[in-house]
Amino acid sequence: MSSDQPLLEVEDLTTTFSTDDGTLTAVDGVDFSVDTGETVCIVGESGSGKTVATESITKIIKTPPGHVEGSVRYEGRDLLSLPEPKLREIRGNEIAHIFQNPQEAMNHCYTVGWQIAEALQIHQDVSDEAARAKAVDLLDRVGIANASSRFDDYPHEFSGGQKQRVMIAMALVGDPDLLIADEPTTALDVTVQAQILKLLDELQDEFDMGILFVTHDLGVVAQIADRIVVMYAGKVMERGGVLDIFDNPAHPYTQQLLECLPEFGGTGGGIPGTLPDPHDPPDGCRFAPRCEYAEEACRTGGQPEEIEVAPGQRVSCVHYGPGGSPSVVRSEEFGPANGDETGPTGGESGVGPADD
Amino acid sequence: MTEPLLSVRDLKKHYPIRKGVFNRQVGAARAVDGISFDIAPGETLGLVGESGCGKSTAASSVIRLEEPTAGEVVFNGNGREGAARTPDGTHPNDVTRFDDDELKAFRRGAQMIFQDPSSSFDPRMSVGNAVGELLKVHGMSDRHRRRAIVEDLLERVGLSANDFDRYPHEFSGGQKQRIALARALVLNPDLIIADEPVSALDVSIQAEILSLIDDLQEEFGLSLLFISHDMSVIRQICDRVAVMYLGEIVEIGPVEGIFSDPQHPYTEALLSSIPTPDPRASVGGIELKGTVPSPTNPPSGCRFHTRCHKVIQPEGVDVDQDDWRGLLNFRDSVVAGEIDVEQVRENVAAGETAPAESEVRAELRREFDIGETVDDPDLERTLSEAIGLLLQDDDERAGEILSNAITTPCAQTEPARTVHGPDHESACLRHEGRASAEPNPADD
Repeated sequence: MSSDQPLLEVEDLTTTFSTDDGTLTAVDGVDFSVDTGETVCIVGESGSGKTVATESITKIIKTPPGHVEGSVRYEGRDLLSLPEPKLREIRGNEIAHIFQNPQEAMNHCYTVGWQIAEALQIHQDVSDEAARAKAVDLLDRVGIANASSRFDDYPHEFSGGQKQRVMIAMALVGDPDLLIADEPTTALDVTVQAQILKLLDELQDEFDMGILFVTHDLGVVAQIADRIVVMYAGKVMERGGVLDIFDNPAHPYTQQLLECLPEFGGTGGGIPGTLPDPHDPPDGCRFAPRCEYAEEACRTGGQPEEIEVAPGQRVSCVHYGPGGSPSVVRSEEFGPANGDETGPTGGESGVGPADD
Repeated sequence: MTEPLLSVRDLKKHYPIRKGVFNRQVGAARAVDGISFDIAPGETLGLVGESGCGKSTAASSVIRLEEPTAGEVVFNGNGREGAARTPDGTHPNDVTRFDDDELKAFRRGAQMIFQDPSSSFDPRMSVGNAVGELLKVHGMSDRHRRRAIVEDLLERVGLSANDFDRYPHEFSGGQKQRIALARALVLNPDLIIADEPVSALDVSIQAEILSLIDDLQEEFGLSLLFISHDMSVIRQICDRVAVMYLGEIVEIGPVEGIFSDPQHPYTEALLSSIPTPDPRASVGGIELKGTVPSPTNPPSGCRFHTRCHKVIQPEGVDVDQDDWRGLLNFRDSVVAGEIDVEQVRENVAAGETAPAESEVRAELRREFDIGETVDDPDLERTLSEAIGLLLQDDDERAGEILSNAITTPCAQTEPARTVHGPDHESACLRHEGRASAEPNPADD
């Protein structure tokens, strides 16, 4: 990548579904980009459109009933206007997906080796022997012990973490430039999650991949992200570098998301209210109905323009715009609670669990 | 100490494995293998561990959804307080010995909440009836009274009385979990066993449900056995924590003690693998390799020794701890015949020429994280001899000499529980020699 254009550039992505109750807008004019070698995390509650946004990139959502608009430029090519056969060459090859539930993403009737080799042979003209050798090599690379003898095992003979490793091996067949990982560790134990995150990190260095990572776990985000995109109800609320977002979350939604965590003085209680109905989103800022700082201006018009609050950090909130006062939202110092001034949880949340 | 509400002693649940024409038992999966703990009235005990460590089996055995294989579960709630042991050593409140009537009464005193709220409701039954069904089963025949009670409860868990006639599919996951809570509370129990009640929920909803559980616990004076694999959830809600590994409790103690001063290496490893929401925190810490071994054939001695990062070195040996772990892993792999020298050669070669033997040796060491030389001359000699034998395809002999030379007390001795502080015990050989715990601290 010699030019300075990002690896993946998504602009004004809008994904709608025709349903019996009318048109449902799952993703509503979302922009983001991923550079080579960087990890971008999309965070938000379930139902905020994270998954649909990532699946719209290579159009793996069913169309119809889905309908994708906007522009997705990958290495300069507009993916959304590519014909299906061309897109298929990119999908699973240059852009690979891994999903939350490896169990459902594999075929139970074939051996894992066969499935990896199949993925390989779809994209590359290689002999069965060469495909087998490459598949064994990949299994070995993702840390499956004794890869050559596990080649002929079926998915049920692998544990959850191992299955996710196999999924990653499958994603690596085409030496992808971009890996889209949709909650790949949510279904796993913490110990296994740590292993998989470490593996992804190593592979990212090795293959120089861009990773687009979808998750709702902010602990994972803090560990792996370079940049963060915060989504809510199909819109981007805030974006920025990982340190900016964790140190100075600008949008009330981001702040409340972080405040759910015990490390940030969260005492439980969560964010009051629920996501708005995607058939009929509220006027103004999507978060206004649940926002404690909402004013009249928040409830009219469309989602506010994104305003740059720090280099690289942009927020879509009325209070940062013309005529607004950021101090309304940013009244107190934000950051992980430091021991003594924690809330009624008894003060035990001051010590970071991994301090050693 | 006042009488605990629930007192579990040496509880075991083994699932028989049967084979052959005569269905003979050839082994057993020891899902829960001798766990003991107490829960005081109003207290929340967390049970934490990786999947497959027997947490859920422990829960369903305690409440007798499954028949425990052995052990005692004494439940002193629900009007059975203050009972004394009979002369023959059995306890009148032992749940495992309850007959059908006693068991039915016991179910009023102890209720369970499951992980997946969607699959624990009948889709064809309105939620009000689903909650009220328990009252009916336990003899409340007055429909209007049932409805009044359920409506009141629905409001208490944050829903509205009008939701009585709605069906499960009309509710979100978090709301369904609220209904599950209402159902667990409707009989006014003393103990609730919650099996991963928030694992299927979103973080923001998780926090809501946890605070609801907390409020209700105070309001109803409940004791809670809270099962989760999520340490941060445990930290938020529990008073005491029991850490389970492969059917055994390896450490039990108050929440602060466990989190700030973990004594068992497994607890340490579990804690260090939680991702902290601090982007500056160093990544990693202790990495646990592999997964929980099979409960059908658990490792000898301390069950964690196959993955432990603090395995004890035998008398007279003092090598780098990482090397030691690597040596043990290497030994196990060789004995299990898992090392494919051909493949290692191929990996090293990466092309045409056959690799030099020294490169293959180095690659093997790298794979098992063993340093270039091991600090102990005897071990070093054994290791290179074993690798030499491996390269000549004599796996068996290699395994033999490794097994003879590399041994650890952890694989031989079962650790006893040792006391670290008030109420804080762990089972690790490294602490042997300290005051050992009374086998049954609260037995009377």
